[in-house]
Amino acid sequence: MSLNIFICGVGGQGLVLLTTVIGNACAKSGTNIVTGEMYGLSQRSGAVSVHLRIGEDKFSPLIPYGEADILLSLEAIETLRYLEYLKKDGIVLMNKRIMQPPIETSRIITEKGSQYLTFEDVVSKLRGWTQNIAVVDALSLAMEAGNVRTENTVFLGCLSALQAFPVDEMAIKKSISEAVPKKTVDQNLKAFDLGKRKAHDSLCTLVPCRELP
Amino acid sequence: MILKDVLAKEKKAAFMLGNEAIVRGALEADVKVVAFYPGAPTSEVLDTFSDALGSFDYQMEITTNEKVALEVCAGASFAGIRSLTAMKSVGMNVASDTLFALGYTGVKGGLVLVVADDPHAHSSQSEQDGRFFAPNAYIPMLEPSSPQEAKNMVKKAFEISEKHRVPVIIRTVTRVNHQSGIVKLGDIKRSDFKKVRWKELNEEYTTLGAVARKKKLQMLERTAKLAEEFEKSEFNFAKQTDSDVGVVTASVSYLHLLEALKMLKLKDKVSILKLGTTFPLPKNIIKNFIEKLKKVIVVEELSAYLESELFAIAKDVNPALLILGKKSGIFSEAWEYNPNIVAKGIASAMGVKYAGHEAIAEEAKKIKAIIPDRYPTFCSGCPHRATFVALNQALKIQVAKGQEHYFANDIGCYSMWIFPPISRGDSSLCMGASIGVANGLSHVIKERVVAVVGDSTFFHAAIPGLINAVHNGNKFTLLILDNSVTAMTGQQFNPSTEFIAGGRQGKKISIEKICKAIGVEFIEIVDSYDVKGNVEVFRRALDYDGLSVVVSRRECALYGDRNKRRRGEKLVPFYVDKEICKRPYVCLRTFYCPAYELDGDRQPRISPELCDGCSVCAQLCPIQSVKRTEVKT
Repeated sequence: MSLNIFICGVGGQGLVLLTTVIGNACAKSGTNIVTGEMYGLSQRSGAVSVHLRIGEDKFSPLIPYGEADILLSLEAIETLRYLEYLKKDGIVLMNKRIMQPPIETSRIITEKGSQYLTFEDVVSKLRGWTQNIAVVDALSLAMEAGNVRTENTVFLGCLSALQAFPVDEMAIKKSISEAVPKKTVDQNLKAFDLGKRKAHDSLCTLVPCRELP
Repeated sequence: MILKDVLAKEKKAAFMLGNEAIVRGALEADVKVVAFYPGAPTSEVLDTFSDALGSFDYQMEITTNEKVALEVCAGASFAGIRSLTAMKSVGMNVASDTLFALGYTGVKGGLVLVVADDPHAHSSQSEQDGRFFAPNAYIPMLEPSSPQEAKNMVKKAFEISEKHRVPVIIRTVTRVNHQSGIVKLGDIKRSDFKKVRWKELNEEYTTLGAVARKKKLQMLERTAKLAEEFEKSEFNFAKQTDSDVGVVTASVSYLHLLEALKMLKLKDKVSILKLGTTFPLPKNIIKNFIEKLKKVIVVEELSAYLESELFAIAKDVNPALLILGKKSGIFSEAWEYNPNIVAKGIASAMGVKYAGHEAIAEEAKKIKAIIPDRYPTFCSGCPHRATFVALNQALKIQVAKGQEHYFANDIGCYSMWIFPPISRGDSSLCMGASIGVANGLSHVIKERVVAVVGDSTFFHAAIPGLINAVHNGNKFTLLILDNSVTAMTGQQFNPSTEFIAGGRQGKKISIEKICKAIGVEFIEIVDSYDVKGNVEVFRRALDYDGLSVVVSRRECALYGDRNKRRRGEKLVPFYVDKEICKRPYVCLRTFYCPAYELDGDRQPRISPELCDGCSVCAQLCPIQSVKRTEVKT
């Protein structure tokens, strides 16, 4: 069992909670896990990243370049920022959502004819590295689950669909219930299921997945 | 991790952050007094102790600065009570005055001092190497590489501290504090908190002149004994092989090394000496390790601390030994390491092939050249942004009138004024220095000096500079940005908050009363969100022929939003009314709020899930097109 996941996003999207949920589930099942977290300062909207490594032969809290099996990105632009960590032909599991940095918006209004980077621009660049790109509109799934702050849980559902993800689905669900605020447990479990189903639409055509019950 | 694991009575395996493992180790060691000033990457030590305060019997303070924190611990320790503090690298500078004295006086109850260096300056103003404090102050030092080791070392450090009657430093780096992994928990056996009678202890802790000279000799003796004891420490271990090449390493570099050897297929092909007690160093262990080697590679981040010692030791025991590290140029003293950097260094030292990581990094760099930078920025609703907008407008008017400015920044969220798109700041050094340098500048430059400091930094290190300014009649303008909490490190309480550690009621200290008591004659208190009104106040402060202080007050948006949610209040977002908006982009040109973006039609819009409802952008819009969402009741 060996899996390197590089997780990235923007401050406030709940990357640390996502990491905690997987880590706690691993601790309970006796699976080795080591992570290196970089959330810098406590303000919102900055770049945040987590190196998550599951398996016995994982030593460093940092994934070597080109050794991440999965690049999981909660914000589309951030996917490209950490590309060097992803294996060639590794799996990209990315949010459709773009949160434009304020500096970018001020550039657009001052430079005539300039445009934002689009989600399509990002995907087309990613294709220079891998064809295994699954896109999830996590914000609308989170809204469907009844809580805009459950985008991170949507991705836990996506991960759980993967055969390569070595943590039991029930363990993840239990871990979610223990880690999120009590009144949001149902919304989070719903977000998890929506994510898992979504993975079967986009991700499972590319890589081996567990079957839906 | 969840708090439950830090508190767990049963001996199980838990997923823990390095900082949480430090707390767990201290709780297992029955720590009774803890004190901290927050600072990345150690803030979660404070936060976890604060959260656990209801479950265990210990005293906790969030102190005004690191020096006070260490002194709180020293006081407890003098009376035989176990204590712990944790601080970031530069916090150690502030506390070092006390540390050096404690080296002489010694302590009684175990005193453990966690010092977290920040190679790469991820969240610090420098990459300073805190290891040198240990030999300089004759204080023993342990260096963990992982959360498990951090927990074990903290626990052991209390024993070492009590046995040798000296504080013990646990020196970490960001990648240890912010590393999570599986930690095997030990027993938690807590004793009751009891006050002791000082007189019965028959102790003294003084150092000066003749007393200091006598204690210096005792300190040297103590260090020699520690060196002897560390020769047997479980925290130093060697993995011997038949190879005549060895690697000496410590801290997180050890983990990068294991990863690198795996990448290079050199696992079990070189001997490894992993050091855990890095002051005093176990010289006999090192001697034995290098005696028969032809080549030794030293893997350590920042300065050549271990490497220099190796040169000294090798001179006697193996003068022909080839020592490869920073001095030979295989590794750099700059920035943090990772498995790739270590692999490259090892490969070069061993003369083996390593495809390298430059190629892959280069290829990725080309592909991602299109993405914009994402600088740290003010949260939506942040009062600092509103203060800045008003200040910027005031400065513009003053410039038009012929007054120019020097802008002295300080340490806190407002440090981000130096980042684009604001990019303002002539200097930014360390806690409280904005006022210090303003004193000097006011003597020598023609421009009006504007210094800025936050509430927490004001209490931490800025007050002496302000007293100095009043006493010497120095003329400049000081903005005190009071957002009620120490925001940047995670909104911890400080003297500007009415709460203390664990959320208990405390006494709020009035910044303006302090200023008045000092003798500041121009002092105004404003609401950070009142941009229009504040432009006028700032202008008056800038025109004032003397020292002028403006306190811009509004609670941190993250702290305020969290409190609102707890009270069940909804955050009501604003929206841009497209019918009215003529797109002058005033909102975007002056405000830079992350909740704003342009839609496909270049029409400004506000993301409702990001908007905190602060209303400041609505005030700025010259045509009143920004409106509050109507709430259905």
